[in-house]
Amino acid sequence: MLIAALSGWVSKTLLRKSGKTIPGKVLLQLYPKALQALSNNRTVLLVSGTNGKTSTTKALSKVVSSKGPTVSNSTGSNLDRGAATTLMSHSKFVVLEVDELHLTKVASEAKPKVVLLLNLSRDQLHRMHEVKRVADRWHQLAATLPETTFVGDIDDPFVAYALSAATNKIGISFGGKKHKDGAVCPACGKYMKWNKNNYKCSCGLSNTNPDQEYENGSAAYRNSVLANVAGSVIGAKPIAINEAELERSVVKDYKGVIAKLRLTKNPASWEEALRSVSSQDVVLIVNARQVDGIDTSWLWDISFETLRNRRVIVTGERALDIAYRLHVQGIKSEQSESFEKAISKFTPGSSVDVLAAYTAYFGLVGA
Amino acid sequence: MSRINIVRIHNELLGTYGDQGNAEVLVFRGKFHGITGNIIDVGYNDPLPTNGDIYLLGGAEDSAQLLSLEAMQRDREVLDLVIERGAVILAVCAGFQIIGNSFGANGKEVTGLGLLDVTTTPGDKRFVGDVRIKSTNLSIDLTGFENHSGKTVLGSNATPFGKVESGYGNGDGKYDGAVSGNIFGTYMHGPILARNPEFADLLLTRATGRKYAQITDPLASQYATWRRKVIK
Repeated sequence: MLIAALSGWVSKTLLRKSGKTIPGKVLLQLYPKALQALSNNRTVLLVSGTNGKTSTTKALSKVVSSKGPTVSNSTGSNLDRGAATTLMSHSKFVVLEVDELHLTKVASEAKPKVVLLLNLSRDQLHRMHEVKRVADRWHQLAATLPETTFVGDIDDPFVAYALSAATNKIGISFGGKKHKDGAVCPACGKYMKWNKNNYKCSCGLSNTNPDQEYENGSAAYRNSVLANVAGSVIGAKPIAINEAELERSVVKDYKGVIAKLRLTKNPASWEEALRSVSSQDVVLIVNARQVDGIDTSWLWDISFETLRNRRVIVTGERALDIAYRLHVQGIKSEQSESFEKAISKFTPGSSVDVLAAYTAYFGLVGA
Repeated sequence: MSRINIVRIHNELLGTYGDQGNAEVLVFRGKFHGITGNIIDVGYNDPLPTNGDIYLLGGAEDSAQLLSLEAMQRDREVLDLVIERGAVILAVCAGFQIIGNSFGANGKEVTGLGLLDVTTTPGDKRFVGDVRIKSTNLSIDLTGFENHSGKTVLGSNATPFGKVESGYGNGDGKYDGAVSGNIFGTYMHGPILARNPEFADLLLTRATGRKYAQITDPLASQYATWRRKVIK
């Protein structure tokens, strides 16, 4: 533990990194069963899903903290080493954001009281390979944890499929939501029957028989409800959650230009972000490093119609990918070498919507 | 001004890897040549239209791939008919496997449509990354992105779509895809026609039987040239 903690100090102080993964990594190397040992006699809640993990984890920690001291990996270090680092801090309650593919390992060792599943859609396919592959892992995991309560948004058929294997579950519906990857039933492989926003497969998988039902709303609103329901499993009282905080957006001032930065990392998060664009001026930053997804083909799954007739500047390592995609849709854009140069083109006092890839977003807002 | 019908087959099933953009690029490039492209989206329950000039299939996950195959088998004679009259088919990844003799999905060996003389077996390694190939049909290199675990072997009635310069292609690192007449199969996403607009032009030429003058679209050229340069 001491060596592991020391490595975090080295990483943070000497290497100027966030210091959130190195101690856990060292600890897991020295002691592979660390996740299990550190979770003993503690109340652990895990959050996973394609979009909204970090912000929902923050919200859930707030909910849980009314019960007692709570620690959380609020920086988004969501692999097993990030989990291990967080577990090194003492507290009765632990709320962890966990990567979709790492959930099996972390949950089978940490034996959580609650697993909250938000949503699942195409993302980083170079790493996830297939959406169904991730859903199958969740499904298998749910079957092996009879003591855990699985909470999830079953308007997403992949979440419903995972929950269907759980002994204890709370399936929540917000009245339905169309899913881009929902043409095939994840449970039986048949063509899924959709009636507008609701699905009902002949095998029984459906969102029309939820355990709890709420009004429809934005992704941020859904996640705030889900956080409160997950908290209620351990007896935490629901709290008012500011939905704006769940949006994963930050407002920053660049020499008088007010930029609203939003994280966009896959078709689902892009579409959610594009709906919120309100400024005449827009900057799009596209990168394709590992965490962004090294392939950019999915940009063609998004309609950028809301950007028509706005001033659009594209930048980032893969600016050309987005520039050509917009071009084919008949939307003009200007290329800029860097975000700094892009933002300097606007007059002070104006506001700009900035939609940024994962690595670009963290470069701008800081981890 | 000529008109062509671009049939996007089962995008709801074969749209997981961004290949739907191929249809949009064909329409876009067509405009420069004076061709009006009309995209027809075909759903799982829809009959396959007989009036297509270009038929497109994309990449998919196993269960979706099987459903798409099942739906196309219902309209098998339509496919034979349109191939007979020279329609163009571009099939990517799972779509490429579907139009071959056989492939593996969900742990089973499945008989394909047999439009291309290729056989695919599932491998235990996933081939993921950028690809660059020397095209059989064009004098330029083509680039794309592959994400599959199938190993595809060509029979005597198909020639490779290209020779792999970088990446895995059909799984052997030597060749990618297959061609027979106007039927093209490849593992390259990107979408392939966005990354390689010259290939889109070739498909338009094949579909209409006309030769077209070279297009000046600086952004398209900049994009294609850059991808060729960075994929070593």
